[in-house]
Amino acid sequence: MAKTTKRPYPEYAISQLTSKHKLVSLWRLMKGYQLHYIGATAFLAISAFARSGIYIFLGKFVDDVLGAGLVGRELVLAALQFSGLVLLQALSIFMSGWLASFTAESSTRRLRDYLFDHIQHLSYAYHAEAKTGDLLERASSDVDTIRRFLADQAIGVGRIILLFAINFTAIARINLQLAGISVVIVPIVLVVSILFFQRLSKAYEAYQEQEAVLSTNLQENLSGVRVVKAFARQAYEMEKYEKNNLEKLRRGYKLNTMHSLFWPISDMVCAAQQIASNFIAATMVMDGVITLGSLITFNGLLGWLIWPIRNLGRLIVDTSRALVSFGRISQVLQTPEEDLTECTYQPEGSVRGEIRFDNVSFEYEKDRPVLDGVSFECKAGQVVALLGSTGSGKTSLVNLLPRFYDVTSGRILLDGTNLNDYSRAYLRSQIGIVEQEPFLFSCTIRDNITYGLQTEVSQAEVEQAAREAAIHDVITGFAEGYDTMVGERGVTLSGGQKQRVAIARALLLNPRILILDDSTSSVDMETEVQIRTALEKLMVARTTFIIAHRVQSILSADLILVFDQGHIVQSGTHEQLLAQPGIYRQIYDIQTRIDSALQEELDRVDLL
Amino acid sequence: MSTYYDENELEDTVTQKSGVFRRLWGVLKPHYKSLLLALAGIIIVSALDSYFTLLFKRIIDEAIVPKNRVVLTQLYTIYGAIVIMQALGVFAFVYFVGRQAESIRYELRKALFTHLQSLSLSYFSRTPLGWIMARVTSDTERMSELLSWGIIDSTWAITNILTASVFMFIINSRLAWIVVLSLPVMVYVALKFRKRIYYHYRRSRKANSKMTAALNENITGVRVVKALRRENKNLDNFKVLSTAMFNSSYRAAFLSALFLPSIQTISAISLGLILWRGGLMVSESAISIGSLQAFISYIMMILWPINDLARVYAEMQNAIASSERVFSLLDTVPAISNREQLIPITSLSGDVAFNHVSFHYDDNEPVIRDLTFQVPRGQTIALVGPTGGGKTTIVNLLCRFYEPTEGDISIAGHNYLDYDLRQIQSRIGVVLQTPHLFSGSVRENIRYGRLDATEEQIQEAARLAGADQFITNLEHGYDQDVGEGGNLLSVGQKQLISIARALLAEPDIFVMDEATSSVDTLTEELIQKGMRQLMAGRTSFIIAHRLSTIKHADRIMVISAGQIAESGSHESLMKLKGAYYHLYTQQYRHELETSMDQFTGDYHAPAQAT
Repeated sequence: MAKTTKRPYPEYAISQLTSKHKLVSLWRLMKGYQLHYIGATAFLAISAFARSGIYIFLGKFVDDVLGAGLVGRELVLAALQFSGLVLLQALSIFMSGWLASFTAESSTRRLRDYLFDHIQHLSYAYHAEAKTGDLLERASSDVDTIRRFLADQAIGVGRIILLFAINFTAIARINLQLAGISVVIVPIVLVVSILFFQRLSKAYEAYQEQEAVLSTNLQENLSGVRVVKAFARQAYEMEKYEKNNLEKLRRGYKLNTMHSLFWPISDMVCAAQQIASNFIAATMVMDGVITLGSLITFNGLLGWLIWPIRNLGRLIVDTSRALVSFGRISQVLQTPEEDLTECTYQPEGSVRGEIRFDNVSFEYEKDRPVLDGVSFECKAGQVVALLGSTGSGKTSLVNLLPRFYDVTSGRILLDGTNLNDYSRAYLRSQIGIVEQEPFLFSCTIRDNITYGLQTEVSQAEVEQAAREAAIHDVITGFAEGYDTMVGERGVTLSGGQKQRVAIARALLLNPRILILDDSTSSVDMETEVQIRTALEKLMVARTTFIIAHRVQSILSADLILVFDQGHIVQSGTHEQLLAQPGIYRQIYDIQTRIDSALQEELDRVDLL
Repeated sequence: MSTYYDENELEDTVTQKSGVFRRLWGVLKPHYKSLLLALAGIIIVSALDSYFTLLFKRIIDEAIVPKNRVVLTQLYTIYGAIVIMQALGVFAFVYFVGRQAESIRYELRKALFTHLQSLSLSYFSRTPLGWIMARVTSDTERMSELLSWGIIDSTWAITNILTASVFMFIINSRLAWIVVLSLPVMVYVALKFRKRIYYHYRRSRKANSKMTAALNENITGVRVVKALRRENKNLDNFKVLSTAMFNSSYRAAFLSALFLPSIQTISAISLGLILWRGGLMVSESAISIGSLQAFISYIMMILWPINDLARVYAEMQNAIASSERVFSLLDTVPAISNREQLIPITSLSGDVAFNHVSFHYDDNEPVIRDLTFQVPRGQTIALVGPTGGGKTTIVNLLCRFYEPTEGDISIAGHNYLDYDLRQIQSRIGVVLQTPHLFSGSVRENIRYGRLDATEEQIQEAARLAGADQFITNLEHGYDQDVGEGGNLLSVGQKQLISIARALLAEPDIFVMDEATSSVDTLTEELIQKGMRQLMAGRTSFIIAHRLSTIKHADRIMVISAGQIAESGSHESLMKLKGAYYHLYTQQYRHELETSMDQFTGDYHAPAQAT
């Protein structure tokens, strides 16, 4: 299966990413920036060496320069060397931080783009099942967790381990016994802090959950303000909010109590170790085992041996969370995309629009067909009306045409060629869809009309399409006309207006095949007439599939298909169907009865 | 929750700036005890931090160099005592300031929520929901951080710098000057850095919201994206956003990486100077070795308080802007409130009269013009007419969500402004066009109509509303969770529950905005039945769309351009062959066609069709 679609990062294929070991996968995630990251680690080591060097230098300075009473050139030189060491340490810390953040930001930016593109290439079936909020969370906050891991946590763990190793070695060089004594407490501090941060992390999650509850509470109260006022339930609402707010306060207190106990207690434990080691070192100086300079060195190094261990606990807990996030992202990445360009038949120009269903069956779940043995055919430019109750298979049928789904058995022929031989991209360019209440994007109205057009169009063409779709006057009625923003921060269009925007779009796209939902449940009569007129214009010379709700569309259809539980139970023109017994005639009879009832009523009023 | 709302977009609505500090103090004042304890804790911790360095100097100079083991033991005992005191100090400040932060957050939210309940509908219709949400969530967060950790962190930093300076001057004033003179430079550089970092950090957060919004939209609209093959264009657009995110986020990270090393570079200069001058002094025996070591430690540690000070300062400016916004919300005066002298009522049962009522929103065109009509007790009025004609406004005025700008409305013989606002609203039952439910169970939602209702009363209301059948068919019956905003139920089901809720409240006046969206025939029948239950014996105002509703009314009023165009019974209006006749025949045809819906069904997304 050759991939020809232009993808954002060809060198960055998913197959290269996945590994049983998440840390290995994370390493591959940094592809192209791995050298930077190695650089960051190297500078990290330099900074750790420099830091230890500062204290070793100070000790030697006390012993060899001051102790020897050297005050001339040696002193100036020593001062310069000392400043130099501090500068080296500062510089390498900067380099390490810079390279690590560059790696983290660059890798996650690429991951974000990749995920965005991957998600929009996932199959229709995947999106029908997936929860938007969940996908969103994976592509945003999980990615951010990875970013923080690469920028801070991984580097942090490395830093603490390096500091420990280097400082421990340096102390061991002063006095092995002293080094041994100084790390007695370290394993205990590490274990306790890991346990603590695990519990803290749970308590923090509980706190965040309550924060979400409180937010939802507030949001519902605000969006339901009319209900609250109508029932004068302000007191009740306050009570409810108070309850949630108090619970959050309680959880916050709990979190805080954990902090307020852990820090001073661990402080004391670490300080006890420091005092003990320090005291022993001091007596060693008095006993002449080590020099005064060594004590000063030791005192400086010791702090960097003990205190960072507490943070190591936090970082280890954070790391395990980052790996969980990465696992969640991997799940999305490993879902196969649908291929847009794969095909065995690439026609020149447009299709004619001749369609044949040949014993087509389709199922979402195994052995539960929603379409079963559907066969019919229509000529190019004909109108096919689909009738049937909810779940009878109409929607599934039209979803097969742009290959949102592929047939389970049987075949669909378009201009005599199997639909599966066309690429999805080509098919979709030939098919226009106008839904009952189309999704509009939060951009300008003009951008919504031209959405999906592969060529540039002039403003005049846009306006012409809008006029034909009977939406031009509505648009020019807005203060900013075609530049009016749609959506959350702009105007809200009614269902009927959205539909007309979609009609204007379809007119510009000029597809050969059209899928229409002609129901208009929430528009007034005048608008309905406008939409009907617009739709009629749109249907001219296109093969049209209508999910029909209106008598007019059915009357003028070339073929009416009546669906029931995935089967076509009746098919033919209006006249043909009316001539035979069946559901169609029954329903039509009811309508004519209603029609005559209206006439009767009008007559009656006239008589009064 | 509308997370993507740009919280700064409406910043300009804040006008008054005066007195923000005075008011912040007002928020802080009730917590002065815990604040004092926390401050005591942090000052002890901070001063002792500085003292440690001095103590180590004493250990070198007074114990180790003269080899005095008695003094050594004494000094280490002091060391131990200080550690314990410090631990107590840490406990005190973490415990008290943490609780204080949490409490202030809690109190601010409570105050805001309570205040929001008193604001009028007009406020909510002109203020975006996201804006209010941001005030209650992120702004209170920033305020409480400032009033707790902000104070503590800056106190720690200032105490630390001051005590270290004092100790240095005690040890040696000439060397101390070298350090103290380098301080302003470090503070200045730190402030510059912190402000830039904070600036880019905030920009990256904004960029992040935009990116998430774009992603959200692409997932929600994926059907359109696929159908129109917009994938490549969308990726290009997304890359613009992710690049913006990269730029600000990377810049913040870069500056953060550069920040401390820069301060260290400045301190490297003073360290060199100290080592050189101090070395000379040691050789001249002007100072001890311990003193020199103490100076070096002080310089190497002064980095941290400077860092904290700069951070608090950078965040403070935004916290103050947040406070101003919070206070401005609290200062918003409800447009509608009770008069001073109220007529006590127990029932609103009686005639309703509009006398020359006019109304306009803000300064706009009047939407209701000189409207006069009377409704005898118990009658049902159907309001019909074009969208924007004023039907909804009439209902809003009747519920006193808004008050007339001219003329008056009287209920049961008195101007309704003389009644208690909440009394009126609780005696009027309202069923909205788009029913709003709250998260929780079905039972809780019905009980919303009368909080002290018994289980029997709740089920009776559900039965009368025709909702009991679908409720008992739910997996958990009355305990079924309806989801956020009721979104786990269908529109029709939500409508039935909202009718049951209104029935349970047993209002004197009933107001309904009939839904235009079609529900299946069976549900529609149930809704009609429930409505008739509500209308029985009550003065009712229905914004009507269904023919059967309209025909059931005692009187039909055609509202157009803020006035009554036609008024009378169905027959008399039909005879006029005017606006009503036109509306009626149109609606008749429409219903005829949608009645086919039981046959044609609705267009559903495949997810639901499965």
